[in-house]
Amino acid sequence: MSRPRKDPRAARAAHRIAGGARPRFDLAAAPAPAGRPRRDPRAEERLALVPGTLRRRLDRAQRVAVASAMPPALPEAPEAAPRLRVIAEPAFLVAVVPDAPGGRLSAHDRQLFGAARMLADEGGGAVLAFVAQPGEDLGPAGADRVLALPVSGHDPEAKALALNAALAALDLRHVLFPESTDGGDLARRLAALSGEPFFAGAESLSPKAVTRAARGRRVEQRRVPPRLVNLAPDAVAPHAGTLHEALPVAFAFPQPSGGAVLSAEFIPADPAKVSLAEADFVVSAGNGVSDLDTFRALVAALNGTPGASRMLCDAGLMPRSAQVGASGTVLDARVYFALGIAGAPQHLQGVAKCEQVIAVNTDLHAAMIERAGLAIVADAQKVMPALLALLQQERQP
Amino acid sequence: MKIAVLLSAGRHPVSGRPAPVPVELQAIRLAVEIGRQFGGDVTGLHAGPELGPLTDALGHGLARLVHLHNEGESDPAPSLAAALAEGAYDLILAGRAGQGGEDSGLLPYTLARTLGLPIIADAAALALGEAPGTLGVEQALARGARRRLLVRLPALVTVHPAAPAPLPFAFAAARRGSSEARPGRHAPAPSPTVEERPYRPRPKLIAKAAAGSTALERLRAATEAASGGGRLLVDPAPEEAAREILAHLRALGLVTAR
Repeated sequence: MSRPRKDPRAARAAHRIAGGARPRFDLAAAPAPAGRPRRDPRAEERLALVPGTLRRRLDRAQRVAVASAMPPALPEAPEAAPRLRVIAEPAFLVAVVPDAPGGRLSAHDRQLFGAARMLADEGGGAVLAFVAQPGEDLGPAGADRVLALPVSGHDPEAKALALNAALAALDLRHVLFPESTDGGDLARRLAALSGEPFFAGAESLSPKAVTRAARGRRVEQRRVPPRLVNLAPDAVAPHAGTLHEALPVAFAFPQPSGGAVLSAEFIPADPAKVSLAEADFVVSAGNGVSDLDTFRALVAALNGTPGASRMLCDAGLMPRSAQVGASGTVLDARVYFALGIAGAPQHLQGVAKCEQVIAVNTDLHAAMIERAGLAIVADAQKVMPALLALLQQERQP
Repeated sequence: MKIAVLLSAGRHPVSGRPAPVPVELQAIRLAVEIGRQFGGDVTGLHAGPELGPLTDALGHGLARLVHLHNEGESDPAPSLAAALAEGAYDLILAGRAGQGGEDSGLLPYTLARTLGLPIIADAAALALGEAPGTLGVEQALARGARRRLLVRLPALVTVHPAAPAPLPFAFAAARRGSSEARPGRHAPAPSPTVEERPYRPRPKLIAKAAAGSTALERLRAATEAASGGGRLLVDPAPEEAAREILAHLRALGLVTAR
């Protein structure tokens, strides 16, 4: 920590009264503020004091604005609406083929758009999104043009043929796919169909170089981004900032012919069997839950995957495979329902990726209550049977 | 019914020694079980300079192994395509990606293209369809979901690690199995277009913490929800709390209304 050194001579010279033959100093006058202002630790502590508790409790997380001797900061400019960026005449196109299950972009798809934006912005290009079914607006995600694929149902071969036609006719510098079940399959089909150079599972991407792991993750392969790139999850940040126009464009795709797949049927996952890292909805118990039979019945009734905090796993009440947190499983779930969990930092790291958290805890100041979208300050032991009774009552008639 | 399983020269991810690829051993299990139910023979195919530890595949349930002998660095695709076309297999199984080579998972797709076969990716289970000449494939999707597909045979199917574990190694089966060497078609390996370096794990995106922010802000970014602004109910009656939770879960589309 470097603080400017005090110069006593300069400090004295600041008090000098101008004019007069003899040097005169007014030491009582307040000096001009210089350097770092002084803090008032007592005032900060007074403000951090949580009122209405028996024990003296300080909330240093700065939820209350701390008044200090510092001059108030200039009011920030109001958050402007995202600027619309129109690319009328793109130099080239970077295509994105998001999975978009049900028309909704996944986090991985958004990262794909971020990567495409980076490649396109390098040389004045535009991002073209291929979508199988109409869904959410792709403008905020970073798409300049949107092209609908003439595919109905699950038919990756017809999709690959349509993409191959677009690849041959349009000036696509790169085509990006997510490294997921469907995206990876489609990318490899297109690579085999078109014979274009293909880069599987890219772990880092920039306009100059793209890298991937090979030879059993012992070697990193690196090259200039080829035409077909398959991007691993969490490699590139999603696009943020500017809004793009997502202009629908037309293209004459060839007529699709019947494929070898006769029927396709989606089977949702069985939450009781699915592993915690893959689960979509996790119901988790902590130290505030002692009746684990009711907890298990509730998990089964809610159709969730059971989880637990470190406390319960250490006590042997739940299997170690159910432990959520930094030393257990880091969840990828959409919704997390925490019963009687205060939320240690290690546990919160485990639920960092969850979009929605519901918490039931007796402590109003628990970190989990603060993290939750719906926080209920109550005893989980009493809420569990009530919720179970409500679910059973609704199922009976 | 003739079934072929493609075997690649893998390397153990930790020791780096030559080893069979686990997902290909899982493919052998799927093939053996389909063959046992419906009377078919299963052949393993490998194209490369030597078999090495792939003879272990015989111990994992494979009855016959065909080695298409290629000298040195050569492209295995033409040898395999020729052997598969000659054998007229009904079902060809392969792993979803190798382990120890290029590991891009592209070879089954180029083979399917060359042979003119439909390809189905990421099978976790196989069953013969009701109509003759069809195969039911259970495809593994993200989050433990599955997709059941009905495919017309012949087809090429790649196997996902979510398939049942390989059959345990049996020494007697390994002795009983036969391996046969045939000359492969030599094709020069495509010239490398990539630069190779020792692997360096890349940092993954976790949460967006602004650069230069304080430790407290970084911890918050790592632990707090992006949504925020949650609803707080202090000391509600248990019944009221239950109603609120159920309504919230319904709004998220998790518990179906009845």
